[in-house]
Amino acid sequence: MQVKVSFDLDRSGELCNGTLLFDGEKITASVGENLISSCVPGDGDELVVRTYSGCGMLEVVPENASADMAESIPVCRFSMSKVSEVGEFTKVVNHKLRTGEESEISTKDFRVCPKCGRHYAKGLDVCLFCVEKSFLAKRLLKIAKPYAGQFLFASLLVLCATGFGVMLPIINSRLVDNCLTPEAVKQEGIINTIIRYIVILGATQIMGQIFKMFSQRRANRISTSLSNNLRREVYDHVQRLSVSSMSGKTAGDLMKRVSRDTETVKNFITEHGMYALEKLVMFIVVFIILVNISPLLTVLVVLPIPFVAYTMRKFWAFIHIRFEKQWRRESRANSILHDIVRGIRVVKSFGSEDREIEKFASVSRQLADISVSNEHLWATTFPFLFFFTGIGEFFVIYVGGRAVLAGTMTIGQLLEFSLFLGYLYQPLMWMSGLPRRLGEVQTSLIKIFEITDETSDVEDRENPVPADLDGDIVFKDVQFGYKSYEPVLRDVNLTVKRGEMIGLVGHSGAGKSTLINLVMRLYDTDIGSITINGNDIKDMAQGDYREKIGVVFQETFLFTGTVYANISYARPDATPGEVIAAAKAANAHEFIMKLPDGYNTIVGENGYNLSGGERQRVSIARAVLRNPEILILDEATSALDPETESLIQDALARLVKGRTTFAIAHRLSTLRNADRLVVIEKGRIAEIGSHRELLMKNGIYAKLVMAQRSTAKLTKN
Amino acid sequence: MAENSIIAQNISPDTLSTQYVKPESCVFAQNKNGFLTATIDGKEYKRVILTRTLPLNFPDDYICISDIEKNELGIIEHKSDFPKEQQELIDIELMQRYYCPVITKIVSVKDKMGNFYFDVLIGEFKKSFTVKDISRSIRQMGKSVYITDIDGNRFKIENYEKIPSKSRRRIEPYLY
Repeated sequence: MQVKVSFDLDRSGELCNGTLLFDGEKITASVGENLISSCVPGDGDELVVRTYSGCGMLEVVPENASADMAESIPVCRFSMSKVSEVGEFTKVVNHKLRTGEESEISTKDFRVCPKCGRHYAKGLDVCLFCVEKSFLAKRLLKIAKPYAGQFLFASLLVLCATGFGVMLPIINSRLVDNCLTPEAVKQEGIINTIIRYIVILGATQIMGQIFKMFSQRRANRISTSLSNNLRREVYDHVQRLSVSSMSGKTAGDLMKRVSRDTETVKNFITEHGMYALEKLVMFIVVFIILVNISPLLTVLVVLPIPFVAYTMRKFWAFIHIRFEKQWRRESRANSILHDIVRGIRVVKSFGSEDREIEKFASVSRQLADISVSNEHLWATTFPFLFFFTGIGEFFVIYVGGRAVLAGTMTIGQLLEFSLFLGYLYQPLMWMSGLPRRLGEVQTSLIKIFEITDETSDVEDRENPVPADLDGDIVFKDVQFGYKSYEPVLRDVNLTVKRGEMIGLVGHSGAGKSTLINLVMRLYDTDIGSITINGNDIKDMAQGDYREKIGVVFQETFLFTGTVYANISYARPDATPGEVIAAAKAANAHEFIMKLPDGYNTIVGENGYNLSGGERQRVSIARAVLRNPEILILDEATSALDPETESLIQDALARLVKGRTTFAIAHRLSTLRNADRLVVIEKGRIAEIGSHRELLMKNGIYAKLVMAQRSTAKLTKN
Repeated sequence: MAENSIIAQNISPDTLSTQYVKPESCVFAQNKNGFLTATIDGKEYKRVILTRTLPLNFPDDYICISDIEKNELGIIEHKSDFPKEQQELIDIELMQRYYCPVITKIVSVKDKMGNFYFDVLIGEFKKSFTVKDISRSIRQMGKSVYITDIDGNRFKIENYEKIPSKSRRRIEPYLY
């Protein structure tokens, strides 16, 4: 067996390239040829990762170490870049020491790019620093592929519209040369010829507008369909993200990805994808026409373009940084305003309105300063840029005018050339804005792919076994940590009989909620297993499994909608009779009947405001309606007044009957109906027994009970 | 009412004054494995850890002494009140608890698809790191700038006015 990872800090805190090795017996940490530390851990010893500010340390804690762990042996130091690697090392070595079994390091959390050495972004299989632009282009094309036919058709319509549009300079030129010269005006029937030109001109313009209208209508249809599908796909993935992935993202962030980022991609594809063909064809055709009219003039027009493009690019890069600074200040001002408005009661209760006004005024002033400065810069430089962009026109007038005077060019040709010049600049301007748009769409695409490419940490196996929860629940050697280097639960061994009620007790952060998260299979165990009726819960399909579990949380979330819809959320096919029965069992029926529209009353964010106790009873009614085989009560009765608590306890007693139940409660008196109490301390099961047995033991539970009694006495006095 | 009266009775003029560990009643040492030990008011603690209460404002003051379970044993008001050799032991412990290398030069900052890639010099050592949410990850306190990367590492620019002008121009757009 050989386990090898790297670390990057030496004893004195200097960066280094160190190697941490476990050969099955000995752990060594070395930098090049220099050995930093080495030790042979015993079977009962344990490796512990301690994380500090920006760094961490790996220690070996001997089996017989005292509580203060002064006998620990430091192995190596590392920065946070290496914490996942060292954490995985620790997990594998500890497993070997404890069980003798060999396992392999999972590199899932610290995959680095072989080219630049940077970590891969979470959820993606590419390094965003080294990623080729073609990677994103291919993905973008993949999104647009189902619409390829429609795109082509819409592009052709646009092309036709443009084709009719470019007839304008040609007809104008003919009109001038054939009808508006001193010789031409003397010809007979000249008025009819002019009218004919006007009719042709009008007809081409009308045809152009008709094609434009159809192309626009087609574009709208594509855009709506694309936007809808893209949004739905991202939302679908958001719903399927594991809890650990969700916890790393804020609600606002996810909402932006579903709405704003999909919109950016849609806009890019519809606005730029469809017009790309038109712009390209227009540029080539116009260029050929211009060369045909006058090669010399074309060279004069084209010559300044690289210079103008370069200047524009530099200018954008410069102004972009300044505007970015302005956006950040604006965002800060908004965030302060948001904070103050949300905390207005605190502000007023401390009488600190003046202080807050000054705080906001200061950031607002900073924002105003930079806004003024940016606007000045914009107003000063933009006219010059605009002038430079069209500088070719001056050459055309000068050189073209001389050619007309010399008789080598007609007025109509000069007019045609000048008008076509506008058609040449159009695609150029569009192309100059493309890099900026590409940058925006790349950022949005990456944010979308971070969601759609992410594989769930909790996967269903290919042929899952049916979720039969009618049996004992067995925890065997369970170890789990939200981060690989910080195990929250260790060596959990417990058998819960079918229909038994287990009260989980312990200090905050001991691991109680983590245990029920594992029961709900929101996370999978790192080591060990949880089996029900002999089947590992990892072998069951999550949907099938969770359908048979009911949960009542401390904080009940009600969706905006009716009380009825909120209760029947647990089982949408329930009959009204079943919903009412569930509400009655949860002691909720009585208060619901007092609401203005009974079960049809709108509750939630924009509806009728229910009290904490009422919301809790709706939550219990949901659980009753679900009729779960396993019930989880997570602080279901905390923060309620005694009268409400008694109503809820009464409802819970009915719900718990005959079901395997896990209940967490800080108020230990609420666990009086539990068959057994499991005391969890620092991630391990410390005590198991009935209330009486644990009191007799005079251990952690007894101390917790005594502490609560004295708090209660203090409050009464 | 009962609760309020308890709180009211407990508030005394001493409530807002912190009891600090006095240098004469606190002696630090190192055990054979290099961990810090302390004797505070005659009581010996075989392993203590030090934590800065205000790491950014007062890195050398208000340092909390606690045991491995993070139970507080006392607070050092000013490190400078302690004898020199004691200060050295405190520094060694703090050095192990905090890692915030000082950036001496910013070689480049590249914005790629919402991530910001920094190439910097830490002394002579070249370091690359990635910053994601730039408005939250770059914090300016006075003239110092703190940057937190996606892994949770921290980097510091001691005085951004004193770094090379090219480096300053590279970081300036992200300061506000």
